[in-house]
Amino acid sequence: MIGVAAPEYDPAAPQSATTLPVGTPATVRAYVGQLLRRHRKAFALLIGVNAVAVISSMVGPYLLGGIVEDLSDDVQDLHLGRTAALFGGALVVQTVFVRLVRLRGGMLGEEMLADLREDFLVRSVGLPPGVLERAGTGDLLSRITTDIDRLANAMREAVPQLAIGVVWALLLMGALGVTAPPLALAVLVALPLLVAGCRWYFRRAPSAYRSEAAGYAAVAAVLAETVDAGRTVEAHRLGERRIALSDRRITEWTAWERYTLWLRSVLFPVINLTHTTILLAVLMIGGTFVLNDWLTVGQLTTGAMLAMMMVEPVGLILRWYDELQVAQVSLARLVGVRDIEPDAGDAEVHPDGRDVEAAGVRFGYREGVDVLHQVSLSVAPGTRLALVGPSGAGKSTLGRLLAGIYAPREGRVTLGEAELSRMPAERVREHVALVNQEHHVFVGSLRDNLLLARQGAGDAELWAALGAVDADGWARALDDGLDSEVGSGGLSLTPAQAQQIALARLVLADPHTLVLDEATSLLDPRAARHLERSLARVLDGRTVVAIAHRLHTAHDADVIAVVENGRISELGSHDALVEADGAYAALWRSWHG
Amino acid sequence: MQIRDLPYTDPGEPDVRSGPRFLLWLGRQQLAGQLKSTAWGLLHQCGLAGLPLGVGIAVQAVIDRSGTRLALAGGLIALLGVAIAVGDTMLHRTAVTNWITAAARVQQLLARKTAELGSVLTRRVAAGEVVAVSTGDVEKIGWFVEALSRFAAAATALVIICVGLVLYQPALGVVVAIGVPVLALAVLPLLPPATRRADVQREKAGRATELASDTVAGLRVLRGIGGEELFLGRYREASQEVRRAAVRSARMWSLISAVQVLLPGVLLIVVVWYGAALARDGRIQVGELVTVYSAVTLMLFPLRHFEEIAMAYSFSRPSAKRAARVLALGRATDPSGTDTGVPSRTSDGPSGDLYDPATGLLAPEGRFTAVVCGDPDAAGRLAERLGGHAAEADELPSALLGGVALDGLALDAARAAVLVQDKDPVLLSGTLHELLDVPSSGKVAPDEALAAAQCGDVLDALAQASVDTDGDPMRTRITERGRSLSGGQRQRLALARSLVTDPEVLVLDEPTSAVDSHTESRVAGGIKRLRAGRTTVVFSSSPLLLDLADRVVLVHDGEVASVGVHRELLRTDTRYRAVVTRETDEETKALQTWEETA
Repeated sequence: MIGVAAPEYDPAAPQSATTLPVGTPATVRAYVGQLLRRHRKAFALLIGVNAVAVISSMVGPYLLGGIVEDLSDDVQDLHLGRTAALFGGALVVQTVFVRLVRLRGGMLGEEMLADLREDFLVRSVGLPPGVLERAGTGDLLSRITTDIDRLANAMREAVPQLAIGVVWALLLMGALGVTAPPLALAVLVALPLLVAGCRWYFRRAPSAYRSEAAGYAAVAAVLAETVDAGRTVEAHRLGERRIALSDRRITEWTAWERYTLWLRSVLFPVINLTHTTILLAVLMIGGTFVLNDWLTVGQLTTGAMLAMMMVEPVGLILRWYDELQVAQVSLARLVGVRDIEPDAGDAEVHPDGRDVEAAGVRFGYREGVDVLHQVSLSVAPGTRLALVGPSGAGKSTLGRLLAGIYAPREGRVTLGEAELSRMPAERVREHVALVNQEHHVFVGSLRDNLLLARQGAGDAELWAALGAVDADGWARALDDGLDSEVGSGGLSLTPAQAQQIALARLVLADPHTLVLDEATSLLDPRAARHLERSLARVLDGRTVVAIAHRLHTAHDADVIAVVENGRISELGSHDALVEADGAYAALWRSWHG
Repeated sequence: MQIRDLPYTDPGEPDVRSGPRFLLWLGRQQLAGQLKSTAWGLLHQCGLAGLPLGVGIAVQAVIDRSGTRLALAGGLIALLGVAIAVGDTMLHRTAVTNWITAAARVQQLLARKTAELGSVLTRRVAAGEVVAVSTGDVEKIGWFVEALSRFAAAATALVIICVGLVLYQPALGVVVAIGVPVLALAVLPLLPPATRRADVQREKAGRATELASDTVAGLRVLRGIGGEELFLGRYREASQEVRRAAVRSARMWSLISAVQVLLPGVLLIVVVWYGAALARDGRIQVGELVTVYSAVTLMLFPLRHFEEIAMAYSFSRPSAKRAARVLALGRATDPSGTDTGVPSRTSDGPSGDLYDPATGLLAPEGRFTAVVCGDPDAAGRLAERLGGHAAEADELPSALLGGVALDGLALDAARAAVLVQDKDPVLLSGTLHELLDVPSSGKVAPDEALAAAQCGDVLDALAQASVDTDGDPMRTRITERGRSLSGGQRQRLALARSLVTDPEVLVLDEPTSAVDSHTESRVAGGIKRLRAGRTTVVFSSSPLLLDLADRVVLVHDGEVASVGVHRELLRTDTRYRAVVTRETDEETKALQTWEETA
């Protein structure tokens, strides 16, 4: 059997549920339309300069045709000087305009690409906090790296080159028609073959290239993971398995390479034969016409030269059309983020006071499965409340509801009598902040890392905030002070320093209520202790809801709520709960000895 | 080598003394493939070069009003068309096969090298460096490998065309033969600045991508605290910088395009002028003029390969250098072991008490020992030493298992005898079933280990995230590094994996630091139950864990300070009490101040 069937295993098939939406064809179309409209002037300019370049490139074949005509008529005065001057003039124009086409094409592509990536980030930073909490940032991250990368080529090259190729091919056809209409018809002879071949190819190619790219990425991913997990791989003696896995990924990837190679093994002869057929048809049909004196030999020569020039635009169109089709999927993933409704909130809702209250709250992540059942709780200003309980009991979820990140399915969560879920995220965070295990240090200066919490703050304020969390010591020792580059690629900070920066941000943002979600849990217990002093100062005077997982945090709280199975099972001060001799008391005894 | 036969059963021993040597080695491995694709390429180029001949004959036939010769010319063109189609397709097939096989070979070499180096790798070279070889450099090396045969074919064809033209039409042929080398070499001086600008552009693009992904990675912080506009502004700036660099780079490339139009154009004008004069004087036929004209226009295609090969080499040379550097890395200690008298099979590996001469730490066989160490870094180093073959060689004597020095054992045998789970174990991506499918004694079933590590909530979460596995958590994929799980969940899964392994000695460094107290006490019980009768060492300062240990050892300043059981040490040893509970004087004071201010 000739040919290669598509491999069964498709590395591009989604392996986990996508957490964020992918754009519908309508959204993608609308976005592309908007992008093209924004750049229509640059487009028109590109097509204009391209037309001049193409037309000036046809002067050569036209002049050659004239010379051949004269020579065959035995004309002695060929006006060679004038011909050469004309040719030379056309060549200068062509050179200048080819340069312009390349430059304008590049500029247009870059501008569209810049628009696209900036648009995407603008949308991303506007996502509702609830969506982010639930979806995580992994999916977004792969969109902004992999998908933007894939689109870069399409925007930078495919769109301008396709425009150039189409204009070029049309002008060549037109020129053939102007030179001698029968020659234009000769081109049509080759069309059925090209159309049939391309239809076959383009029906299979885009998805095959997607799978091939995904397969290749999977090969690299296995390696990256082996590197990242070096210690684990060695400790568990997984080396042989990693090699076997890598070999398996190579088998999967190369199976797709083999399939796409087969696809091109069909396309390449089709394109090559199309070119020869066009040339052959022009020469044979044109030649017969000349022999019958319906055409001149000069026209035939010009036509043959133009037909040979067809190679380039056809090649351009086929090459970049491919790329554009592959890019569509990435575009849909980028544009998909636009389908998420930004939660505008009601700017009129203002809290009156600092009391945090949950009343009859029910909440679940999925339809019909509640994580919290009828939870009611009130936290007076300045109180420290600790939520304790086993994993999966719902204490983190309750914390997120109290921070206004999720809206309850039933019941109300209010701050100063105003419902948190009805306020815009920007309003909520003036009052309440969620501090979680993620203490991200952004790439950039130490100053930028702090300024985000209070824009326009002066250096004195920033130093004061660092001082408040005991971080001014090491920060002042940095060579460039606040201008030191930190984050990945810059100065690497210890987890404890990163946590101090997170705390300094809180000092600057100055919300009156904090929800701490195991804020120090990922740290070494020993390092955590230094931080607790810093934390204590930040907490001073604020309302604190601490999702505690070390019992001493609970011990120090004013009120402890034990959360079990989505309900508050015990509520009271440490002493009262120990007195009551329930679940908390049992745990406390084993911990404290 | 065909693509369907990949991967190689053995990718071979590369010559990694330098980048060029590595390229040469790769080339030697696929010599037959290179020759094959050069031969097909020659057929393609010669077919193309023959077309002008056909066109010239056709035009001359028409001038001479000869239908027969016109038909003959048609036949020739049709024949050439077939040769071109076959040659081009086969050239593409063989050249792509060369690049795929070269890329696969390098990827296989990298996979073997990383697996061999394990924990040592990232201490010797930045992780990004290795990944860069796999993601970017392999493609560039492959490009060069692929372009090489195409270039060889094109260069040979150009020589043939020039010689042919000189023979066919000496007067015009000589003009072309002089012009071609100029055309081939003219753009080369422009390439270095162009590639430099392209590099600058790539670097800026990389920086912008980094900023964007960094912003997205910290998006929860931004949305929770603020600063979106600040970061957007920063990104816009970086993005516009990329655009400007790209335009600068496009300027250079557009200049190259212009030169590539201008110079052949000049040659074409000379050919037309001179040729037309020759034809007028009857020294050449009109058809011959047309042949030479179209031969010059078609020459542009083989000429482009000069530019391509120059670029491919300039891009692939640093890539090959980096690949060679990574592949040349090795372990500091001898992974095959020096103590050859000891059999390396797991079943009869060493057993007995684990003893570290440097600190005096003793973990008796079959007991649950907890180690408390005030300095977390020192604890990490000590834990690593307990397994032997530490990534960073030091002068300290090796840890002994049943009196056998672990450093002297073969690496694999040492790892089989003692499993050290470090503070930050990585969950490899794959299904839960795959995660727990590690080399093991086979005595602990995955569900037992999962139950002991209290992974019930993890199973529920995975069941909910499953796409098409009918909610079977064992067949649900865990995302990369387990990012969709919480820190505590990740830690418990890693613990379950170590429990499944069921090694002779299990060393755990802070296995429950991110687990809440409720769950931690149950996890501690689970470890103790499952490891009954086996040697277990846990580094921790959590009273819930220490309370269950048979023996608690306090290590201070690199030496064992005291030994006992938790409750006893808590009463008798103030230093122990200070590390384990949080009631140092200073902290008590801090607490008091806090309570006063509150």
